[in-house]
Amino acid sequence: MPGRGTVARARGLTKAYGTGETAVVALDSVDVDIARGRFTAVMGPSGSGKSTLMHCLAGLDTVSAGQVWLGDTEITGLKDGELTRLRRDRIGFVFQSFNLIPTLTAAENITLPMDIAGRKPEPGWVDQVIDRLGLRDRLGHRPAQLSGGQQQRVACARALASQPELIFADEPTGNLDSRSGLEVLGFLRSAVDDLGQSVVMVTHDPGAAAHSDLVLFLGDGRIVDRMERPTADTVLERMKAFDVVRGRLGDDAVARED
Amino acid sequence: MLKATLRSFLAHKGRLALSALAVVLSVAFVSGSLIFSDTVTRTFDRLFASTAADVTVGPKQDLRSPVPGGATLTVPADLAGRVAKAPGVASAHADVSVQNVTVTDSRDRSVGPTTGAPTIATSWHLTDRSPVELTSGHAPRGADQALLDADTAGKKHVGIGDTLTVQAQPGTFRVRVVGIATFRTTNPGAALVFLDQATAGKQLLGSAGKATSISVEAAPGVTHPELKNRVAAAIGSGGYELRTAAEQAKSAAANLGGFLDVIKYVMLGFAGIAVLVGIFLIVNTFSMLIAQRTRELGLLRALGADRRQVRRSVLLEALLLGVVGSTLGLAAGIGMAYGLIRLMSLFGMNLKATEMVIGWGTPVAAYVVGVGVTFVAAYLPARRAATVSPMAALSDAEIAGVDKPLTGRAVAGAVMGVAGAAALAGCVAATKAAPAAALLGLGVVLTLIAMVIAGPLLVRPVIRVLGAAFPSLFGSVGRMSQRNALRNPRRTGATAAALMVGLALVGGMSVASASMSASFDRQIDRTLGADFIVQSANFSPFSADVRRTVRGTEGVGLVVPQRITPLAVRMPDGRRVQTAASAYGPRLDDVVHLTYASGGTGAALADGRLAMDAKFAQGHGARLGSTLPVEFPGGKVARLTVGALTNLESPEGFGTQGGIFLGLGTVDKYVPGGQDSVLYVNAAPGTDAAGLRASLTSALKPYPQLQVRDQADYKKLVHDQISVLLYLVYALLGLAIVIAVLGVVNTLALSVVERTREIGLLRAIGLSRRQLRRMIRLESVVIAVFGAVLGLALGLVWGVCGQQVLALRGLKELQVPWGTIVAVMIASAVVGVVAALFPALRASRMNVLTAIAHE
Repeated sequence: MPGRGTVARARGLTKAYGTGETAVVALDSVDVDIARGRFTAVMGPSGSGKSTLMHCLAGLDTVSAGQVWLGDTEITGLKDGELTRLRRDRIGFVFQSFNLIPTLTAAENITLPMDIAGRKPEPGWVDQVIDRLGLRDRLGHRPAQLSGGQQQRVACARALASQPELIFADEPTGNLDSRSGLEVLGFLRSAVDDLGQSVVMVTHDPGAAAHSDLVLFLGDGRIVDRMERPTADTVLERMKAFDVVRGRLGDDAVARED
Repeated sequence: MLKATLRSFLAHKGRLALSALAVVLSVAFVSGSLIFSDTVTRTFDRLFASTAADVTVGPKQDLRSPVPGGATLTVPADLAGRVAKAPGVASAHADVSVQNVTVTDSRDRSVGPTTGAPTIATSWHLTDRSPVELTSGHAPRGADQALLDADTAGKKHVGIGDTLTVQAQPGTFRVRVVGIATFRTTNPGAALVFLDQATAGKQLLGSAGKATSISVEAAPGVTHPELKNRVAAAIGSGGYELRTAAEQAKSAAANLGGFLDVIKYVMLGFAGIAVLVGIFLIVNTFSMLIAQRTRELGLLRALGADRRQVRRSVLLEALLLGVVGSTLGLAAGIGMAYGLIRLMSLFGMNLKATEMVIGWGTPVAAYVVGVGVTFVAAYLPARRAATVSPMAALSDAEIAGVDKPLTGRAVAGAVMGVAGAAALAGCVAATKAAPAAALLGLGVVLTLIAMVIAGPLLVRPVIRVLGAAFPSLFGSVGRMSQRNALRNPRRTGATAAALMVGLALVGGMSVASASMSASFDRQIDRTLGADFIVQSANFSPFSADVRRTVRGTEGVGLVVPQRITPLAVRMPDGRRVQTAASAYGPRLDDVVHLTYASGGTGAALADGRLAMDAKFAQGHGARLGSTLPVEFPGGKVARLTVGALTNLESPEGFGTQGGIFLGLGTVDKYVPGGQDSVLYVNAAPGTDAAGLRASLTSALKPYPQLQVRDQADYKKLVHDQISVLLYLVYALLGLAIVIAVLGVVNTLALSVVERTREIGLLRAIGLSRRQLRRMIRLESVVIAVFGAVLGLALGLVWGVCGQQVLALRGLKELQVPWGTIVAVMIASAVVGVVAALFPALRASRMNVLTAIAHE
């Protein structure tokens, strides 16, 4: 049984693409526990499998072997319909770009997962989220009328609005200028601290990772290290060490990944 | 550039496939109809050319009527003797051949064809030109023997030894089948009964001394025109019509032509619809392809391709599509012609599919239509492609043209719309049918163009209303589908236009036909006073025995016969009006209600009198009491006096002009041997209608071609005939819908591709496959219903204006068939659902992760 403090967990999680000699192992028997009520960052160089790990934990991708749980639910082996409902009701997403449906207003985008589910959003909660993200006066706007930072804030609001068990953020600051990026990271931080949410963020930016409680380092499909209470400098140091160990990939390759 | 064009063509072949299908359909109908009619014409030309005598001498037929009158014109049989004496004649033979017979078997079932082809009773005279040969039994000898053709015998299960009853004009007689004759050539579908020469003359024409034509064979070395001249010199051409084999074949083919023309025009109608709707599909497909390739085209321009090259490259793609579509269409057309030929043989017309004729005109027409349509349709998109700026390669513009203002369209649409509305208003205000019809046609074309142009402008307001309930009914799925339909008004408008065209036609025709039915109902109510009408199924005249039988039936009080005859009246203003006229028996007032401007039924039907419509008479300078020369068939001219003038609601139509009618006695005097077409029957006092119907039905059992109808039956008959017209229109609509569905499929499929990332995102945040499919389905439905709303609105306007034209011809009732309109609306929603099947399936099968990562 997963511990009370664990919101998601994987055991022996393996993901391989292709078969035979051409097979590429993206995740190689990964064991991981995501703590409830914490902000976890997943870092690693390009091709380390960090995005694949997120996709498998979030029920977006199927696994080759191993098991994944969200709370008490084993999600490996669920059918597409069950996975869809699970994502809709229990997971929040913030992607790097193209987070919003262009035909819907900000308000409609925020409540979309609940609308799809046919649930009434909890008005007090949604209002709190909207105010916290400073979107009150942008609710009637379409995504095309919003700046990149505002769009990403709407995406955060959507992820928070349904009070999911776990929020996945995939390079949420990748397309933003540094100020908007900091804002978004601040909101994710306060979602954990003030609203009690659990967040998993995939990033290649040590500065972003520094906002988390715990950084998991991935390399060649395995979790190679973990760092509590990271700072930008310690993360950067660790990443450099990484590169020395791997000896092949430079900083620019890491920076290019998305 | 050429290589790039070819690559692009192949890369988009899936997208082009649906457009190609529209080209294939239109070309298939064009080439199919050409091949079919060529084949049929060739077959019958051969048949008639091989069976016609060198020269045929027949009675002069100067009056033709579209309505059969039942009287057969004859020549004296001994004319053959006189003809034979002419120089250059090898032999001459008198033939008897009539079509005004009904043949029944021993159980009173008709052995005639059920397809409307005639039953022909003819004299048996075997020559090497005969289309038939005796295959069993022996030739007919004497009054009670006959041959039957093998096809009819087989179909109706009649064999040698069976008895047939022949209802001919002079009377009904029985014959025994003594042999079977089999067609050596193509059987045109008729039923043939052969009698010996003397019997045929006596039983079919009333005298053994009569014949219907003389077949003349030339002596060796005498040409047909020469022979014709010599025979004419010998007998005096005054009373006779002489035809060479070639002329005879041509006129026989022309008689058959009417029926074949109908098939041809129906097929061409389908081709026209396919072309019309196909154009929208092709325009839309190319527009979408170009929008999708804006960046690619921009790159080409940035790399130095000039506008003309870009345009040419798009047009070349269209050309390729046209050629491929036409080739496939031609093949499909051959298949379609083959199918039609097989279908014809099911109806008894034994055409040989192996003798299919593909004239050089068929492939030419196929490629002209197919390539022409594609080229014309692609021209505008090609021009738009050429205007893509090199900057488009660099910019991240989503879809070109989405937000371009529609002002140009608004102006053009408004101008066309106003002009069209003016033409329709002119049609409503017109007082004469011909200009009204012309204005109607103009108005229909202009308003259709206006709607096509302005369609995209109507997308936002109409779909806002149509989809207003979607969010509350279907939640965010409904909201997104409504907004998706609004996303690109040009595309939505063009997609819906294809459906609009078809449904506008249906809307208009359904109003017109419902109004016609209502008008006829009213006329029947107002004019028909008879308890029952006895009439054959196809309005052909019937034997005089019927009148005797009906008169002798218990419970029958009054029988008024109606006979139709062609005649020509020389009006005082000098015009010769040729028309079919009705002749009635006395006491017409008891069965038909007529309103007279002057005079009355008695004066109208008196000997040597006739009646006509008051307005018609006035228009041609005739008054009550005018005496007019009237020509009857067979060349007899009478001087008849106008005895009455009527106020008819519809004096024209069904081949009649001026509402001319006269007394049966007068017609009998000048056209002896006519047959009744209708009997109006009233019950004797004290007889109830149901009882009379039962006794009439049983008395008429030997006459299976006749039906007893009361007013309600008669209305139903009229409705059924109007329905036939309507079914044709519905078939046209069916084709239009098929093509429109292709258009919707095409648009949705492209939209799904364009929105791949959006779909991926929706799936990631929890939209189920079923909800995704529903979203696409609802978008499709709203587009289809939008097209239906525009089309039906336009059709209703057309229909109401068209009814004004009918009103000028006496059909004054306006009726809007709301049931049909609602049904069409529902059907269009179903069309939307069907069109969304494939795109929705495709969207729901997308892999979430690849969709999100889609560029």
